[in-house]
Amino acid sequence: MNENVIEIEGLKNRLGGLWVHNGLDLTVRKGEILAIIGGSGSGKTTLLRCILMLLKPTAGTIRLFGKDISHLGDEEAQSLRRRWGTLFQHSALFSSMTTLENIMFPMQEFTVLNQKFMQELAMLKLNLTGLPCEAANKFPSELSGGMQRRAATARAIAMDPELLFLDEPTTGLDPVGARKFDELVVFLRDTLSLTIVMISHDIDSLKKCTDRVAFIGDGKVLCVAPLEELRKNPHPLIVEYFKNY
Amino acid sequence: MTPHLEHAEFIFNTETSQYHCKGSWSILCLETLLGQLAQIPSTPLASTIVINGEGILQFDSAGALALLQCKNKLKQDKNNIELINFNAKHLQLITLLEAKQDTLDFTPEPPIKRSAFYELGKETVNKLSQVDGLIILIGNLTDKIYGAASNWRQFHAPSIVSNVYTAGIQALPIIALLSFLIGVVLAYQMGLQLESYGANSFIAYLSGMACFREFAPLITAIIVAGRTSSSFTAQIGSMKINEEVDALETMGLSPIEFLVLPKLLGLLIIFPLLIFWSDIFSITGAMMLSKFKLDIGYLDFLTRLRNSVGAKQMLLGLYKAPVFAILIALVGCFQGFNVKLNASSIGSQTTKSVVQALFLIIIADAAFSIVYSWLHL
Repeated sequence: MNENVIEIEGLKNRLGGLWVHNGLDLTVRKGEILAIIGGSGSGKTTLLRCILMLLKPTAGTIRLFGKDISHLGDEEAQSLRRRWGTLFQHSALFSSMTTLENIMFPMQEFTVLNQKFMQELAMLKLNLTGLPCEAANKFPSELSGGMQRRAATARAIAMDPELLFLDEPTTGLDPVGARKFDELVVFLRDTLSLTIVMISHDIDSLKKCTDRVAFIGDGKVLCVAPLEELRKNPHPLIVEYFKNY
Repeated sequence: MTPHLEHAEFIFNTETSQYHCKGSWSILCLETLLGQLAQIPSTPLASTIVINGEGILQFDSAGALALLQCKNKLKQDKNNIELINFNAKHLQLITLLEAKQDTLDFTPEPPIKRSAFYELGKETVNKLSQVDGLIILIGNLTDKIYGAASNWRQFHAPSIVSNVYTAGIQALPIIALLSFLIGVVLAYQMGLQLESYGANSFIAYLSGMACFREFAPLITAIIVAGRTSSSFTAQIGSMKINEEVDALETMGLSPIEFLVLPKLLGLLIIFPLLIFWSDIFSITGAMMLSKFKLDIGYLDFLTRLRNSVGAKQMLLGLYKAPVFAILIALVGCFQGFNVKLNASSIGSQTTKSVVQALFLIIIADAAFSIVYSWLHL
């Protein structure tokens, strides 16, 4: 079980004349929940975009499930994309489809299951993320921010991915909803044996559901450790980050 | 870990009299299984049926749902169902699904069919409310212009300049090219007829009248409607989706003043100049064709143009500029504010904006013709 799902070595990114990442190394093990934290503009979302193949890194290698993503053919890249699900910072639901259609969309594209089964499966995901049934028929613009987040999560897990990326999943949720979301994350990991990589600023959620936390600063991963251990790290950036907690 | 992609199967083994689950019960491998599901034979009533989960390679929530359906199918005959050799995680997933199962059966409401009369009425109300909205916009705009007259800063000069640049200066090459071509084509068609009467020298009068009065203003209006009206709609529409319009409003600033006024004024300033620019090139086109096809020299052409057409006809064309400018800016901005909160709405409103702008331009042009003929111009 000690496989690494993501291995990043010497990642460098130069954006807008600045080195966002400068020799970043990070490993994500199978079945763990890893959070990436760091101050604003430290390159968390850029890192995620590199892993998701949305941005080509300036230098360095990223291996997903043991495959170097810079040397992938179209086919391989496509099959890799089917093994992960992503929840974007601003939900990114398709605005012209209802919630149910949004969740069914990847199933319709990638599988040949019958409509009824897909619908039930989509309703299951909807339920898992804590949305009421009435939300199924609504358009994203008719949902509140928190509900949109849940709907987007439901879409991210629609294909039962092995790897789930969450970009600030609890930001903008009410505290009760956020804690429920944390439970959901842990629950999903346990039942579906997912590996989860999340970007989060929510200390409560870090406490509750992460196995390890990676702190990004100065273009590098300064420390990867369980949260309690990380907070004892004497690096000035980390001390500054946790000062108020 | 590489995923084993073996089709999931649900087989009755007669030796052990158990149902065996085999293969990957994951979302990508379920088609065969769902086919088998329909063929599960009915069993004697109230017997105990054992489902063996030993052969499962992969099991995800889609697999769990499929298993649940198998179970429900067998349960119909009041059987007792026992699951054996399932791993703890799989069982957890199944239990979870069983708890949720009642909520899964959900059919989205079928779209309601309306009669043609309903659609007709709805569209009428829709159109009327659009007119309403447009009148409100015009009222707001007039109020802002009136207010800005006493405070020059409300005119937002930098914004006007940038609109003049994007709507006007950047359109110069395309207007020049199209006008030149129209001038050439027009002179060619008329020249053919004139030549057969030996009335070559009338080409200056005819092409001058046609270009100055109709073609230059129209071609300019069509290009500006296509380029600028659509860009106004898309810009305001995406600002609306981004809640930037709401942000302006809550700051106590008027979106009309910030977004519509500079666009309208910018277009009003640049539009007559664009028509003049189009005049120059369409006449150049006609003049060059006359030289090569009809043997009328440049000087001869221009002298006849001055004597028979003159600046008066050119001014009649330029008078159309403010009306066209106002129509294009108003329609573009109005449709921008009508954008709903989804991506496809920007597309449909942009289409509407261009179509309506062109429609109104042609109507306005016809109205000008009527008015000019009343005035014997």
